[in-house]
Amino acid sequence: MAIAKAERLMCLALCLLGTARPLSKRELRTSIEAYVEAFGPGRGTAFGSDTSGEDAFNRMFERDKDDLRELGLVIDTVEGLDGEPGYLARRDHNRLPPVTLDAEEAAALGVAAKVWQQARLAGAASGALQKLRAAGMPLAGAADGPENGAAEQVSALEPRIPVREAAFEPLMLACRDRRPVVFPYRKANAARPEERHVEPWQLECWRGHWYLVGHDRGRDAERVFRLSRITGRVRHRGRGFTAEVPDRVTVRETVERWAGESADRSALIRLRTGAGYPLRARAYGSRESVLPGWDELEIPYGHGLDAWLVEFGPDVVVLEPAELRADVIDRLRAVAKG
Amino acid sequence: MASAIDQTRRMLSLVTYLRERNGAYLSDVARAFGVTEDELISDLDVLPMCGTSFRGGDLLDIDTDGERIWFRNPESTGTGEPLRLAADEATALLVAARAVATLPGLRPGDRQALLRATAKLEAAAGESAAASSSLSVTFESEGGVFAEVDRAISERRRLWLRYYSPSRDELTEREIDPIRLFTVGHTYVEAWCRLSEARRTFRLDRVAAIRILDAPADPPPVELRDLSEGIVQPAAEDPEVVIEVGPGGRWVAEYYPHDSAEELPDGGLRISLRAPDPASLRRLALRLGRDGRIVSPADLAESARDAAVKALAAYDA
Repeated sequence: MAIAKAERLMCLALCLLGTARPLSKRELRTSIEAYVEAFGPGRGTAFGSDTSGEDAFNRMFERDKDDLRELGLVIDTVEGLDGEPGYLARRDHNRLPPVTLDAEEAAALGVAAKVWQQARLAGAASGALQKLRAAGMPLAGAADGPENGAAEQVSALEPRIPVREAAFEPLMLACRDRRPVVFPYRKANAARPEERHVEPWQLECWRGHWYLVGHDRGRDAERVFRLSRITGRVRHRGRGFTAEVPDRVTVRETVERWAGESADRSALIRLRTGAGYPLRARAYGSRESVLPGWDELEIPYGHGLDAWLVEFGPDVVVLEPAELRADVIDRLRAVAKG
Repeated sequence: MASAIDQTRRMLSLVTYLRERNGAYLSDVARAFGVTEDELISDLDVLPMCGTSFRGGDLLDIDTDGERIWFRNPESTGTGEPLRLAADEATALLVAARAVATLPGLRPGDRQALLRATAKLEAAAGESAAASSSLSVTFESEGGVFAEVDRAISERRRLWLRYYSPSRDELTEREIDPIRLFTVGHTYVEAWCRLSEARRTFRLDRVAAIRILDAPADPPPVELRDLSEGIVQPAAEDPEVVIEVGPGGRWVAEYYPHDSAEELPDGGLRISLRAPDPASLRRLALRLGRDGRIVSPADLAESARDAAVKALAAYDA
């Protein structure tokens, strides 16, 4: 059976961390059993006289170094006297600076570490806690039984960040590494998806949905994309951003505007007594209607209000403005036609 | 199944951790690392195979008697200092901590602890913290309601609610025994509802009024649901509803859990979903307007049409 990848990565990490001088690829290959087992001891020289086994080893070695870098290891490449590169993970580059967390702070981070429902970030959050634990972060007293544990527990809350969108991980990495991407995107009302070329800046989760903001190269402007509307694979396209990244991006304001949360006008409606609590909760004012069994409310009028009012069926009548009244009648007619 | 990357990460920290705590108890270490004892034992099976063998068979000598863990050659790993945080690690923890810290209604003490921890973490992470600015999460909550539910749970008290049900467009009053608060976009309280004698989930922004009662909460033992499955979990025996939407109604598939969503030639979808009470979908049918229609059940489609006709009568239209 092939030696497990975790064992191979662990050996490579220990070799790189444990050495004071750069180790050559050949030294590492002969030191790590998994490499020897897979590729033989390797008779290759600095002039590369070996065969295809050498290439396969090189590919695995590069991937393994990349994986360790993902774990936070800083691996330096140093040119040796013979021109062959040597590798080491210097202690001063890999040390966690001193960090002292008290039990309350540790408990708070414990809650935060459980928030991600996405494999990569959930793994990373646990990994961060483990590093802090190794650095001496105290453990909340859960072992003393539920009675005592409750005293140290953070608010009785389980926050969760849902990530169901497949596009999340590639976009997260693209934002992190500042790499332009291209993906098929279907706008809310579009029948077909369209390729969008984007320099991704930031991902934001609002009301459980993920949005991307970035520079849309095709439209030469800032755009917000909803991840659930990305219909296919996210691919990297070229390197480097061409547009300047603003200091502050405003995903939330843009999305709130779409969602009709920001209203600049008001509307007057008649609402059946006892119905439409959410309309009442946000009304600017209300009074009894001259029609018995009805109230009149002044409510904020933003994008999407017509669709919302129609949901209340015969319990809502729009009085003003005429434009909203017409939109609601139009929608009701469409439903009445079936 | 944990990935090899996660296991490597954990084993590196374990080596550092065990150096300082030779003879640590298996159960304590498992708890400190947030893994089961079986997972920890599988790490302990791998660790003795690892080392810097180029120096001559220099493998880690770590073993366990099933109760305690012994690290017999801690000097073999150089200094074994705690390792710096990777960009993803700093991001995962910082983004989550910032999001929780901004939750309206959180206890001030908890908020302060989170903010202090975040600041220390930012300092310790150094440049690894930079990537965390490309992710941000906002949790929605009603601060006042949140604080009351939080207090009721910690004091194990019953709550009285006036609660809005959108499917019926009505407010009902009920007493609930709260079990837990959770946030997935919005914040919810899961509780035993004494009115319906069943477990129910209430969204905090639909609570019109709340009061903590003197009576103790006494929920029957219920198995907590797995939140990763989604809030709404229709049952197999619930009636089926079929909806056809045009391109403008595709959002229905994003908001409603469904069994299938079949592409239609015009860019629309034929969505099949299950609802315990199909009448509750009348609102959806009305909202869709010309962007979609209920295909079945027929009486649901009829009730939406009927509501629209009645509404139009008020406009003389």
